[in-house]
This record gives sequence, structure tokens and C-alpha cells, in this order.
Amino acid sequence: MNAPLAGKNGEAAFATLCNELRPDLFRFAFWLARDRSVAEDVVQEALLRAWRSRDSLTEVGAAKPWLLTIIRREHARLYERRRHVTVPLDELVGSESPELAAVEEQETLDVRRAIFALEDDYRGPLVMQVLLGLSTQEIADQLGLTQSAVLTRLFRARQKLRRALGGTVDGEGE
Amino acid sequence: MMECLEFRRQAGADPQHLGPEARQHAAACPRCAGHLGGLLALDKRILAALQVQVPGTAAPPRHGGAAIAVLDHRRWMALAASIIGGVLVGTLLWVGGPRNSLAQDLIEHLDHEPEALVTTIRPEEDSVLGEVLERGGIRLRSGTPLVSYASSCRFRGHTVPHLVVQTTDGPVTVMVLRNEKPASPVTFDEQGFAGRIMPAGPGSIAVIGADGVDLEQIAARVLAAVEWLDD
Repeated sequence: MNAPLAGKNGEAAFATLCNELRPDLFRFAFWLARDRSVAEDVVQEALLRAWRSRDSLTEVGAAKPWLLTIIRREHARLYERRRHVTVPLDELVGSESPELAAVEEQETLDVRRAIFALEDDYRGPLVMQVLLGLSTQEIADQLGLTQSAVLTRLFRARQKLRRALGGTVDGEGE
Repeated sequence: MMECLEFRRQAGADPQHLGPEARQHAAACPRCAGHLGGLLALDKRILAALQVQVPGTAAPPRHGGAAIAVLDHRRWMALAASIIGGVLVGTLLWVGGPRNSLAQDLIEHLDHEPEALVTTIRPEEDSVLGEVLERGGIRLRSGTPLVSYASSCRFRGHTVPHLVVQTTDGPVTVMVLRNEKPASPVTFDEQGFAGRIMPAGPGSIAVIGADGVDLEQIAARVLAAVEWLDD
């Protein structure tokens, strides 16, 4: 079996891969956790796990989904351990996530608030599609859903955002 | 023919990857084209909002950009320190394999930039257009049709200006390809798109629109409008 991250050459390739993907991985973790410190912990733990199991990756092209899966699982583990306390959204925005409060443009802040307020089921697929560039089939594979279910969630996520941002919404009540 | 409701369901779920039938619908239905434009603008805002600052980076990198993360976490450093060797450029992994024709690559690129479908009278922001033109080493002379979209895109390993101009036949995509020099003009008609690639300046200019646009006339206007600057 070919393992592109195995051996001495694999070590350098792993470092390069992690360096290239780290912004995406951190942001993905951030939008899963909605908490900066949790996101940092998740990424560190996930990269350590990826490092230990790097021989299991058989194809470089599959590295990104492989790492995203590890991030999701690590986030779920951490979530289980911490049993998050429910925090009101405004408090969360103001205190736990400085980048939300300190963002320079009001418009970006408004959109971030709206994304923050989306349910996990809608926010996750949207982040995977818009930020990470995954196809709807890849998102379905990640989440163990049908492609049709992913399309529905993405449609509704945008519908909710448009409504939250004061835009007109087509097809309500469909 | 796809109905508006079905189009809006598809576009609402994945506005950046419409199928051929949905693209045809958008080209024929101004209201849905406008709706698509709104969705694409929303996606841009979502993307900007999702790009929170990454620890150890000077500034949030643009999507697909080349900002290099500074590793500042002790555990991350420990992990990185255990790895022998320097940094290899990942792009090496993508070199090789058979190449598509230039026309195929252009159409494939358009599939990822559905702004090409949107009919609008709203011009691109001057600052955005100016930056794209400057990066591409070109200027536009007066008399250029209204430019409604401008982006510096990666295409065949180079950053090239991707513009959309609004014509009486609808929106037309213009790609300025400094590094592609066909021996003679190439005309193509594939997947609902009609296009023409013309040698120009040090490279070429491609214009692509929906089937039925007057490419000859538009291409002539674009060629006359583009002024190449020295490297």
C-alpha cells in the first residue's frame, strides 16, 4: 500500500501539508466550536493524531478530507469532555470570540453574528462548502448524509442568513 | 426547460456550481439571473465572514491565497521540529498529467465563476477593477463595455485578469492570457458557451459568452480596449 506521508520524505510532506492547510483547519474548528481557544486545542490534538496515523493516508489528494474528519472527531471528543455550558449568543459574541467583537467592518460582523446563530446542522455544511470548497457529495460523505439532505441544509442555511441579514427570501415555506 | 422554483432551489443550495440546465435557465430568465447574482454576492460576504484570523498569521489570508502561517504554539513547534527537511512546494504535486485544450480549461474555469452568467447594470468597484488590471499588466481604454465583475484568477499556473463585460447580447467573460499565445484565432462552441481566443499583445485574449452572442463584434471591441503594459 502506498503511504505518501510515511518515511523520511513523508515527514517533510506532512509538515508542508499541515502548514498549507492549517488556516482552513483552524477556521473549520473555530466554526464548529465557536470558540477560539477550543479551536486551537482541537487543531493541535487533531494534528498530533494525524501525525501518529499518517501511514493510514494512502493518497495525497485525500489529505484534506482526512484531516477534516480528524478535526470533526476531535471536536466531538472535546465537546463530550467539556459538556459545553449554554451561553447567550450576545455574550458569546462579545466575550468569547474577540475576533467577532473586534472585526473592523460592521457588515462582516453582521454576517458573522448570523452565521454564529445558525444551528450546527446548517452551519457545518455551509462552512464546508463556502470556506473549504467541498462539493456537496464530499460534504455528504463527511457527515454521513445523502447529497439531497446536504442540498436541503445548504438551501435553508442561505435562506436563514438572508432573512437574518434583512434580505428577501424566496421559496419560504417550501 | 427548468422552472424558476427549481432553479432557485438549486441555486440556493450551491450557487457556485450550477448544472448546464440551470445555467441555461439563468441565461434566459433575467429575474433568476438577478437572484443568482444576489446569492453569489451573499456567498462572498459569507466567505469574508468565515475567514477569521488564524493564530500566528499577520492577517487573514484570502481564500486560496499564499499567506504563510507563523507557527507559534509550543506543541505545534515540537511537532514541526521533529520533522526533518525544509518546506517543499506543494504545487509540484499538481504538475504532470495530460493537459486539456485551452478552450476546455476556459470553460472549466467559468464553471467555477458563475458570475459570468449575471446580467447587471452595476459596475465593478473601481478599486477592485484597478487592482485586477494592474496585477494583469493591462489598462482599459475608454469605450470599453461596462465591466461588472473583475477578479485575479489562477489559470494554468498564472494569475490572470478575469473580467465580465455587459453587452447588448448579455454578459461576456473576458480572460486576458499573457502566457498563452495561440498561432491563430481559435473559435469554440462547447457546453452552451461560445468563445473566441485571439492572439494579442504578448499572449492572447479570450472572450466567452452564451451561444448566440456576436463574438466577432465583441472580440473586436475588447481587443481595441485592452492596452498591454510592459512587464
